[in-house]
Amino acid sequence: MKVTLNWLRDYVDVDLSAEDLSHRLTMAGLEVDAMERLGEGFDSVIVARLADVQKHPDADRLTVCKVETGSVTQQVVCGATNHKPGDFVALAQVGTVLPGNFKIKKSKIRGQESCGMLCSTSELGLTETSEGILILPPDLDLGKPVFQALGLKDIMYELGLTPNRPDCLSVVGVAREVSAMVDAPLQLPVPNIVEGQVKTADKTSVVIEDPELCPRYAARLIEKVTIGPSPDWLVQRLEAVGMRSINNVVDITNFVMMELGQPLHAFDFNLLRGRRIVVRRAQDGDKFTTLDGQVRTLMGVDLMICDGEGPVALAGVMGGQNSEVSDDTTDILLESAYFNPVTIRRTSKRLGLHTESSHRFERGADVDMVPLALDRAAALIAELAGGEVAQKQVDVYPAELVKRTVIITACHTSEVLGFEVDVADIKQKLSSIGIKCSLLVERRDGAINAEIPNFRPDLEREIDLIEEVARLIGYDRIPVTMPVSNLTCQRLPRHFMLQRQLRDRMVELGFAEIINYSFYGNASLDLLGVAETDARRQSVQILNPLNEEQSVMRTTLMPSLLETAARNLAYRCEDLALFELRPVFQACDASELPTERLRLAAFLCGRSEPQGWAQKDIDCDFFDIKGVVEQILQNLKITDVRWVMAHDEAYYHPGKSCAIYKGEQLIGTMGELHPEVAKAFDLNRTAMLFDLDAEVLMALSGGTVKFQPLSRYPDMQRDSAFLLDDSISAQQVFDTLNQVKLKDLESLVLFDVYRGEGVPAGKKSLAIRACYRALDRTLKDEQVQNIHGKLVRALEKELGAELR
Amino acid sequence: MPNIKEMGSSPSLFFLNLGLAITPGRIFLSDRMIMKDKLVKIEEAAMQAVAEVVSEVELQQVKARFLGRKGEVTAIMKGMGQLSSEERPIIGALSNEVKDRLESAFSERQESLRQAFMKERLVTEQLDVTLPGRSQRQGYKHPITQVTEEVVEIFTALGFGVAEGPEVEKDFYNFEALNIPKDHPARDMQDTFYISEEVVLRTHTSPVQIRTMLEQPPPVRVIAPGTVYRRDSDITHSPMFHQVEGFLVDRKVTFGDLKGILTTFITEFFGQNIDVRFRPSFFPFTEPSAEVDIQCVICGGSGCRVCKQSGWLEILGSGMIDPEVFKSVDYDYELYSGFAFGMGIERIAMLKYGVNDLRLFFENDMRFLKQF
Repeated sequence: MKVTLNWLRDYVDVDLSAEDLSHRLTMAGLEVDAMERLGEGFDSVIVARLADVQKHPDADRLTVCKVETGSVTQQVVCGATNHKPGDFVALAQVGTVLPGNFKIKKSKIRGQESCGMLCSTSELGLTETSEGILILPPDLDLGKPVFQALGLKDIMYELGLTPNRPDCLSVVGVAREVSAMVDAPLQLPVPNIVEGQVKTADKTSVVIEDPELCPRYAARLIEKVTIGPSPDWLVQRLEAVGMRSINNVVDITNFVMMELGQPLHAFDFNLLRGRRIVVRRAQDGDKFTTLDGQVRTLMGVDLMICDGEGPVALAGVMGGQNSEVSDDTTDILLESAYFNPVTIRRTSKRLGLHTESSHRFERGADVDMVPLALDRAAALIAELAGGEVAQKQVDVYPAELVKRTVIITACHTSEVLGFEVDVADIKQKLSSIGIKCSLLVERRDGAINAEIPNFRPDLEREIDLIEEVARLIGYDRIPVTMPVSNLTCQRLPRHFMLQRQLRDRMVELGFAEIINYSFYGNASLDLLGVAETDARRQSVQILNPLNEEQSVMRTTLMPSLLETAARNLAYRCEDLALFELRPVFQACDASELPTERLRLAAFLCGRSEPQGWAQKDIDCDFFDIKGVVEQILQNLKITDVRWVMAHDEAYYHPGKSCAIYKGEQLIGTMGELHPEVAKAFDLNRTAMLFDLDAEVLMALSGGTVKFQPLSRYPDMQRDSAFLLDDSISAQQVFDTLNQVKLKDLESLVLFDVYRGEGVPAGKKSLAIRACYRALDRTLKDEQVQNIHGKLVRALEKELGAELR
Repeated sequence: MPNIKEMGSSPSLFFLNLGLAITPGRIFLSDRMIMKDKLVKIEEAAMQAVAEVVSEVELQQVKARFLGRKGEVTAIMKGMGQLSSEERPIIGALSNEVKDRLESAFSERQESLRQAFMKERLVTEQLDVTLPGRSQRQGYKHPITQVTEEVVEIFTALGFGVAEGPEVEKDFYNFEALNIPKDHPARDMQDTFYISEEVVLRTHTSPVQIRTMLEQPPPVRVIAPGTVYRRDSDITHSPMFHQVEGFLVDRKVTFGDLKGILTTFITEFFGQNIDVRFRPSFFPFTEPSAEVDIQCVICGGSGCRVCKQSGWLEILGSGMIDPEVFKSVDYDYELYSGFAFGMGIERIAMLKYGVNDLRLFFENDMRFLKQF
């Protein structure tokens, strides 16, 4: 909503600086989004008079003008044709910068000196287009800045109104707020209407068939009007608040809507079949062409303004082409009505047709403004477009809307705001915005009966009035206090803490956290090679996505992780360790919300250590990413997991990947990215990934710590290397050793795996370091020999190992 | 450094080998003086040798030559059996004295050699300490996470708990229970992604307020950080972003308390010297509602492009919880009151770090992430 200071001053005497008013409006809840000084910077465009106009000696289309500015006479070459000696014009003096950074310089045009430029309205930014130069009214002071002389210097405020304040969708409404601010009375316009002999009621009629959707409908007939351009003041007013001039009648309806907040509609009376108005619902499937030329398909819920035969306007939203005011129109039926907000909103929303009119009606117009706005517009039409106003309005208002009364108490107001507010304050504040207040003396808690005017549909309850009181006192005057509250234990939830723990751990392990959008396109799953039958194809679809690539809630973090990696690689950031800890969404029954499960996915490629003079320059491999997974598991105290080669993920290298299980519970998968999938995502690198179900991790975590006593005695280590069949996995070795009871074994480390010279083909050498230590004594050599012998024999017997 | 391997050919040792060769045999009484002389000479020779050695290995060899099992002093002591009973203690005492003196000379020399060696070693072991250290791969927490954690930290310090809720949410929790009925113009304030007629991507974290209040009776003090979605995408709008919702319900909670808690939060987060202002606004689920502005952190309040020349930046929406909301969660409005607030994490992160483009948060460019 745009208003200007000059326009506001028509209704309230305000003497604040531009900035001050801007601040006060914002602090009153009418946030000023932008403030613009109209006519600023044009002080060097001054009023001048043409003393002489001669044809340019060397150019047919140019004139050479002698221009008086009051003090001097100067020569200007002008290309227009609409000027003559004696005209008052706008002279942009040398040095002026016009919109579009157009600088006026002293120059010679075809040999003739030119000091300045005679301006058109469009060159001054007053209109979008113009023909010829601006000819000013003849009585202006020579040499005065044009904008000042025309009263066009103004301040425009663009207000970001909240939806609860339809009353401020008009200049008068904003003026009412200003009047409360500066404690000056609000003066509403008083229409000076001269009525003719004809009675509106004799010429036409209004029938409301659905009073619930249209509680009030008033009309006036104005005959013998002349449709034509609007006077300058009207064009300028409308343009200052962002509206375009159409013709005098339409401009007046728009002007009154902006002034009073009441949308109006002008019908060409002679195009109304039966010359009458019927307000009723549409029939399902009816077609109707609105003013913008669009054919609309109607539904039974849409409220229509009809004539004797059919629809002529989409009530409260837009008029129809069939009854539009045109240049030939002579008689006008002017509509001023009140419509049910919900019905207007439904229709406007369904048709995607949002207009200044629907914007006001759906937020709630002022039913009491209906007759005043109608008279105001009729008077202006008579004044500016000629014509005769027929006697009286036809005002159909079957059931008067009852004004609400709300009781507000000083006691409750003080309780909510946290400081003492007395009855007098409340009365004064509420009265200042047009709420009638009377003290309920029989009650002793400072209760006030407040009669809510119809322009404030948002005020329904005491708390709404308390807000008004707080707003008008000023939020900045409410003292700052700290709550007095009972202590309660507020530990962070386990799920939240574990999330934080996982994230912290990944960061400690050198991974950078990324956050991708929760949606992608189905094509992402195709690129990843996820099977059509995979559960992750059961995704949650967005009904109204912004685009196809953001149309599905993701069921896996992998595609966006790979895309992020590819993007970074393209910037030559080649050593990447990325992770994302975010939910994925899986569709359930239609009646249930989808499941949201946190997943932890990571991507690793490039050097295993940062590049540097003292660092190893080798690429990461499977065991780097496995080490990360192991550390995460260890951190969460999840032990004894199984690494299983068999899994269903198609996006891993089949020989370098595995699933991770705890018992029968799948934790996730990890491994090297399949080279084909890498190519599909434009990743020309060997990359390692994991994708873990963070909810499972959290469920499995939290084994309690049980202290193990420390031995004070020395340890003994035994290193043994074994020859084993290549097909025997490390897991088999560990499982075998777990079966044997090895007393006083403190730790076992697999410290070497070797194939090659000295080891027969089809075999490998595994070297194990066992560390023995007893809790209560120093172990003797032969005791250790004995235990270690058991270890060796177990491997020999179970796995056919040979001690090297 | 002395060349240890060549010590055998040093001139002093050659001399010692020649002059001190001893032939064991019976020693007569008149030999006492000879024995004494010999000891004196041995001591002199040993002392000189000790002074001349340049390494610990050489020193050990010298020690062996004099005090070792076949050493010269040892030989004298072994030969004492041939002396008469009167002479034996005299020579015995003498040789013990010599032995003691030599022992201490050896250990002194050993210590001085060790120190000299250490000194020399430390001098030669010099590094270019300006070479970069051996680094570990560095991890980074996303700035959105960092800011969220800071906000959570401040509010937990103020006694607030934390709650979470689903991102795909029922219309009821996201709108209806928050006093935003269907066909209400307030729905236009938030462009919504729909999953079905009744299910949306939550447009704010406020539904967690409803879920929490339905689960637990007052008093409650909770914040709810989370991901939210709006159907909007341009330089200043992202279809997905993050919010922290917070609310407090207890007896006699006032608008002044709301100002107190939020002012405390803002000064903790942005610094003590920042100006804060509360101005009227509208949210369907609070009444009275307040928008909270801070003094522009870019221009300090004098007006710039970021604050649209106003000198103020909007960072929080807040208000006293609307009685309608209490009704939908079955809280007694006569007994309890409360306030609620919500803020955009990206917004305050941009202000805190001076990030000028919202989209950077979701591009995950390492050059961006590494800065935090």
